Amino acid sequence: MTAFVQPDTAVIVRQRLLENAEDVDALFVLAALHAHDGLVAEGITVLDRVLRLDPAYPGAWRFKATLHRMRGENEAGQSAWDRAEDVEP
Amino acid sequence: MSAPAPIRLKLCMAGEATVGKTSLIRRSVLDEYDDRYIATLGTKITKKVMSVQDPKGAGPATVHAILWDIMGTPTLRDLLKEAYYHGAEGIFAVADQTRKETLAALDAWARSIRSVAGDIPTFGLVNKKDLDPDPQFAAGEIEAFFEKRGWPWLYTSAKTGVGVEEGFRRLTETILADRPILKPDASGDGPRRPS
Ligand SMILES: Nc1nc2c(ncn2[C@@H]2O[C@H](COP(=O)(O)OP(=O)(O)OP(=O)(O)O)[C@@H](O)[C@H]2O)c(=O)[nH]1
Ligand SMILES: [Mg+2]
Repeated sequence: MTAFVQPDTAVIVRQRLLENAEDVDALFVLAALHAHDGLVAEGITVLDRVLRLDPAYPGAWRFKATLHRMRGENEAGQSAWDRAEDVEP
Repeated sequence: MSAPAPIRLKLCMAGEATVGKTSLIRRSVLDEYDDRYIATLGTKITKKVMSVQDPKGAGPATVHAILWDIMGTPTLRDLLKEAYYHGAEGIFAVADQTRKETLAALDAWARSIRSVAGDIPTFGLVNKKDLDPDPQFAAGEIEAFFEKRGWPWLYTSAKTGVGVEEGFRRLTETILADRPILKPDASGDGPRRPS
């Protein structure tokens, strides 16, 4: 039996975006990967694209709130959080 | 007399990549299974309608379980925890019996969820029961793991269906038994636990 290899999320995201540049799932995770790498502003830009494609994407408004708070943008964070309360399924 | 409004519950699937979170939901909701692996990116939400015995009421209750199927990427877990776990009312902690390390990994998943959602009921699903177990497991190790944490658990197989319905029913009944007095839900989709 071959050893188990953990799937590489970044590689999967890149493949999916090559197939479809508007794959919202892949874009959402790309936003998270940017933020994880310390590129929080880039993360927010990608997340805004996700929210234009699907304003009810699960967890996206709350994630936007998290990212704004990481940047000390508390007002933008609160308004994203309020949007989440409206759209959460 | 009109039927009581359905009870809406948010349940989160937790556990490492490839343990079978998506497959368990697929088996439970569609009664289907696929051997191909497609990694979940982000999250998928599925509604499962169940009729369970309401431990507080006289008869059966209709539950609309909103299942959050989350990707098993531990490196992004804490960054995304508010986004995913806010308002969660129960956790399925899923391990794969063919890979021992997926069991110990459940502690970090449960900790992350509870840091956002509080001390909510957790139910262990040890999946891929149709395959041979990881020989590295000592006798009684799985039982001891769950007993130590006070989490009820079951062996499951998304492939054969073993244990899947029982797992959903038992977690739901545990949540209902713990629930405070219900308030009607403002969305009109049934009562939910006050947040
Ligand atoms: N034999 C067997 N294979 C299973 C079972 N459950 C899932 N699998 C297989 O295991 C692989 C991973 O299953 P998924 O359900 O995609 O796993 P996941 O936990 O959702 O993975 P991520 O989305 O990456 O976090 C797939 O190839 C499934 O067909 C099972 O009970 N038995
Ligand atoms: Mg999955």
